[in-house]
Amino acid sequence: MCQNHNTVEKYPSHFEDSGEVMTHRDLAWDDYREAIRGMRFFDPHVHMTSRTTDDYQAMYDAGIVALIEPAFWLGQPRTGLATFKDYFSSLVGWERFRSSQFGIKHYCTIGLNSREANNEPLAEQVMEILPLFLYKEGVVGVGEIGFDDQTPAEEKYYRAQLELAKAAQLPVQVHTPHRDKKQGTERSMAIALEHGLDPSWVIIDHNNEETVQSVLDQGFYAAFTIYPFTKMGNERMVKVLEKYGPERIMINCAADWGISDPLALPKTAALMKMRGIPDEAIRLVTYQNAIDAFGKSGQIDVADFENGLAVDQSQKFNGNTILRGGQQPRVAKDSLVIN
Amino acid sequence: MNAILWEILEQNLTVAEKEWLQEKDATRPMELMTAFVAAPRYLSKQIVQPDVSHALELAQQLPGFSVMGWSLVRLSRVWLLTCLDTTDREAYVRHLETLFDTAEMNELVALYSALPLLAYPEQWLFRATEAVRSNMGVVFDALALQNPYPARYFTDLAWNQLVLKTIFNDKPIHLIVGLDERANEKLARTLSDFAHERWAAGRSVAPEVWRLVSKFLDEALLEDIKYLFNSGSQHDREAAALTCFQAEYPPAHALLAKYPELEKSVQHKKLSWADLEFNDLNTYVSKP
Repeated sequence: MCQNHNTVEKYPSHFEDSGEVMTHRDLAWDDYREAIRGMRFFDPHVHMTSRTTDDYQAMYDAGIVALIEPAFWLGQPRTGLATFKDYFSSLVGWERFRSSQFGIKHYCTIGLNSREANNEPLAEQVMEILPLFLYKEGVVGVGEIGFDDQTPAEEKYYRAQLELAKAAQLPVQVHTPHRDKKQGTERSMAIALEHGLDPSWVIIDHNNEETVQSVLDQGFYAAFTIYPFTKMGNERMVKVLEKYGPERIMINCAADWGISDPLALPKTAALMKMRGIPDEAIRLVTYQNAIDAFGKSGQIDVADFENGLAVDQSQKFNGNTILRGGQQPRVAKDSLVIN
Repeated sequence: MNAILWEILEQNLTVAEKEWLQEKDATRPMELMTAFVAAPRYLSKQIVQPDVSHALELAQQLPGFSVMGWSLVRLSRVWLLTCLDTTDREAYVRHLETLFDTAEMNELVALYSALPLLAYPEQWLFRATEAVRSNMGVVFDALALQNPYPARYFTDLAWNQLVLKTIFNDKPIHLIVGLDERANEKLARTLSDFAHERWAAGRSVAPEVWRLVSKFLDEALLEDIKYLFNSGSQHDREAAALTCFQAEYPPAHALLAKYPELEKSVQHKKLSWADLEFNDLNTYVSKP
């Protein structure tokens, strides 16, 4: 199976219908952009805490109206409970506000990530504070949780958090491992079913060609991460859609502190459009399906963003928006002069 | 206050929403705190419309306090906080600190809106100054604007920081409760320094800030007013006229007399600070 992957990644132009494929590689993003003019996107997995204001502005310009930021690992292990608490707080506080300044509605999922589940003494403490955050406004799920090394500790806290999700009536965003992915994915699903979760409340993330069939067959949502080198490429994504159709499939960028692309969703939409995927299918996998899945939390009101980020009337005085902190001003990036 | 807030809520809640709030047992703090967090799951975010009599009653009981523009969730949260039993100070403070420590953005807004209604007001001074340090605009606004807490309890140092940050962030200082009463010389001098930095950068200063300088005009500050009279902006010149008119410093009146048209406008009350109260400031844009 691995060989198949390598073929796809290394020799994409060898694909059967590669007649047109060659040309798109010469196209710049500005050319793609026309293909998706007027489209709206909902990115259900992106770690904005690690991204710059340039990213926010580019995402807004590309049509991303809302996003979900899952709680995850910060690139190095945390050493105490307080840093977890502050991180969760920032996901429902500062980052939420920062995003609103760029016209993008920010939701999050809260959970103990699989890597740090392995520090059991700390994990125990984190489990105690999770309920404080899971019931917050705009928390649309428990996530991202699941397996990394597939250790007993990871399993223990995955199970415990599935129970939290049930109690809070929240969807679950499941991270699947980089290594031994196929087994890890199957195990994640089996455990979720064992705990009595409705698979339509569970989003299995980071799928690939090898995992998707089983995920869909068992009634789960299948999320695909378009992330250079280590996860899916978007040409492969188009193939997956051609094969499986749009039902219960969603696309995200999972951009974080690594080399990743916060515009992966709009870029993939443009590629899908150029490859003849119908507009409605594009809308489902880049917008609607994520809203349907995470909307089960009761925390997503599309009126907040479907026509651009609606101005929250409670945050205005006398009909002007400046008190929201306003929308951030644009700087002339190509100008040598900084005012 | 708890009673008036409930009366306003009653006029704005649906039957189901009212029931949800009423079934909370006020003797159980955890139930109130959980309801505080969960409110958006059960209540709408529509804007509350208090009738005139309620608005007047609020203003009488607590001058400067207003629920205008609040969402139903925000008002309900503040009401829930006023239901907390205050007899055991240690427990009361601990409950509120927990809410502050784990609050998301809109919860912080509700908590800071409620500060003037909380028991043991001096207990919340540090928290209040933390809101002034916040970069979350809505959180800052909840404390700084249309909220009587800072004017009542802030030291001059904290007060001046609040006013300066409001100005610095291009927010409307006329929405700060107690602005004129808390004006002080140190603030006036800091504003002068601030204006000089802005002018050096080719930027402007919101014209209404000079209302904070009137009482403290002296030779040095009058130089700034002269600068304003010579400004290309009509609003700056109007601000200069109003500042001089309200000053007790005789040379200021002599200066104003040099601009008879402006002098007439302020004397005849055709021009007041209200004309310079802008909500859409953008003073960071450099002037050509």
